[in-house]
Amino acid sequence: MAELKQQKGSMVEQLGGATVRMVGNCGRFSRFQADSLVASFAACFRPATYPLIWNQMLAIGVRSVPVVMITGAFVGMVLAIQAYDQLAGLGIEEHLGVLINLSVVKELGPVLAAVMLAGRVGGALTAELGTMNVTEQILAVRSMGTDPIRYLVAPRLIACLFLTPFLIIYADFLGMIGGYLISVPYLGINSRAYWSLSAAGVEMFDITVGIAKGFFFGAAIAGVSCYKGFHCKEGAQGVGEACTEAFVGSFIIILAIDFVLVVVFKAIYASIWPIKILL
Amino acid sequence: MQEQVKNGDGIIELKGLTKRFGEIVVLNDISLTFEKGKTTVIIGPSGCGKTVLIKHIIVLLRPSSGEIYFHNQRIDNLDERELGKVRAQMGFLFQGGALFDSLTVYENILFPVKQHTQTKDTRKLDEIVKMKLAMVGMDGFQNYYPARLSGGQKKRVALARAVALNPEVILYDEPTTGLDPIRADIINELILKTQKELGVTSIVVTHDMNSAYKIGDRIIMLHNGKILIDGNAETFKNSTLPIVQGFIRGKVSEKDLKSLQVSFEDIKIDGIQ
Repeated sequence: MAELKQQKGSMVEQLGGATVRMVGNCGRFSRFQADSLVASFAACFRPATYPLIWNQMLAIGVRSVPVVMITGAFVGMVLAIQAYDQLAGLGIEEHLGVLINLSVVKELGPVLAAVMLAGRVGGALTAELGTMNVTEQILAVRSMGTDPIRYLVAPRLIACLFLTPFLIIYADFLGMIGGYLISVPYLGINSRAYWSLSAAGVEMFDITVGIAKGFFFGAAIAGVSCYKGFHCKEGAQGVGEACTEAFVGSFIIILAIDFVLVVVFKAIYASIWPIKILL
Repeated sequence: MQEQVKNGDGIIELKGLTKRFGEIVVLNDISLTFEKGKTTVIIGPSGCGKTVLIKHIIVLLRPSSGEIYFHNQRIDNLDERELGKVRAQMGFLFQGGALFDSLTVYENILFPVKQHTQTKDTRKLDEIVKMKLAMVGMDGFQNYYPARLSGGQKKRVALARAVALNPEVILYDEPTTGLDPIRADIINELILKTQKELGVTSIVVTHDMNSAYKIGDRIIMLHNGKILIDGNAETFKNSTLPIVQGFIRGKVSEKDLKSLQVSFEDIKIDGIQ
C-alpha cells in the first residue's frame, strides 16, 4: 500500500499534476491555434501555397459533397415524418414547410453537416498528420527549414474554413428537397401552401446565419484535428486515440460554438429588428 | 583523451550541452567542436542519447542548458523562422528515411528545392532530381511512391533529398540500421562519396562499428550522456576501457549477463503450472 502511494503520489499531488497538465495542454492548444491562424492568413497572400490549398479543397470539400447531401436529405425527410402528426392534430399541417425549412437552414443543416465533416474530414486529417508525426515526416519538414504549420496546417485550415459554408448550402438544399418530397407527394400537403408559408416564415437572415456558422465550424474541425494529429502519441494506438479524441473534441466544440453563435446572432437580430420594420 | 580542434576549423560547436526529459538526464554537459569537411561518427549503445544529440545540432530539440553554435553564430536561441535559414544549410537523414508517403520520389527530392529557391524551370528541376538520384544510384525511380521502395532504397532517396540543397553539413541518424551488410556497405560508400565529392561536413550517429571504422575521421563514444572517448579508429582499437572493448566486440557485460541469469523455471505465477 505504501509502495502504491509512493508510486502514484497523494491525491493532492495527483490533482496538482492533472491541473498542471491541463493548463499546459490549454497553452499548447491556444498557441497552436494562434500560429495556425497567422500562418493561414499569410498563406492567403502566398501564391506558392495555392496548389496545396486546391488539393486540400478537393479532398476536404469536393469529396465530402455526397455524404453531406445525403445527411441533409435524411434530416429533411425525418423532420417531415416526425412533425406531421403534431401539426395535423392542430390542423395546421401546411405549416410543416416553415418548421422543416427553418430547422434545416438554422440548426440541423449546419450542425449535422459539420458533425459529418468532423467524422469524414477530421478523422482523415488527424490520421494523416498523426501518421506523419510518428514516422518523423513532420520533423523532416522542420529539418528542411520549412514551418510544418505553414506547409501542413494552413492549407487544410483554409480549405475547411472556406468550404464548410458551401457544404452547408448543399445540406440545406437537400434538406429542403427531402422535406418537400415527404410533405407534398407522400403526405399530401398542398404544394402552393407549403412553399408560400415557407417563404413567409424563413428569412434571408436565417439562411445567412446558418451558412455563417460554417466558417466557425470549419475552423474548429481543422484546428482540433490538426492539433491532435501533430500531438499524437507514438504507434498505431496513438494515432487511433488521436482520431477518436479529434472527433469527440470537434463534436463538442461544434455544439458549444453553435450555442454561443445562437446567442450572438439572436442579439444581432434583436438589434436590427426595429430598422427592418422601418425599411 | 579529447582531440583538440584548431580555432577556426570548427563549423559546429556545442558548449556545455545538457538535455533533461523530466528527471532523466540524457545529455550531461557535452562540449564538442565538429571539424569542417570531416566525418565525425558518434557511437554508443542504444538509448545513450546519440539521436538526441544529433537532433540538437539542427535544433529539432532545444537544450535544457548549454549553447549550440553554427559558423560561430549561436543557433539554439533562434526562433523557427530564423532557424529555417540555418537548417537549409544542413541535411538530415532520418533513421527511417522519413520520406513523404503522399509524394513521389521526384516530389520528395524537390521539396526542399521548392521551399528555398524560386526555380520554376521544369527542365532544370528535372535535371536536379536526375543528378541527385544518379548520385545515390536511384535514377529512374522518379515516379515511385516511397511505399514501393525497399528499406535501403528509401534511405538512398532520403540521402538524395538531404543533399538536394547542397548543404554544408549532413547529419545521418543510424544510416545503416535495419539493412543487410551489403546494403549497409552501399550506404557507407555513399557517405564517403558524398563527403569526397561535395566536401561536406558529416556527422553520423551509429552503433555499427564496421561503419564507424570505415567512414569516420573521428569517432566519439557516448556513455550515460557523457563523452567516454574521443579519437580515431586506432584510439578505439587500443583503448583498454572495458566498456569500449565490450562495445567494439559486441560482448555483453558481466552486469548485463547477471540480469539474464533468471531461469524461466524460476518465474512462477500463481495458478499457472
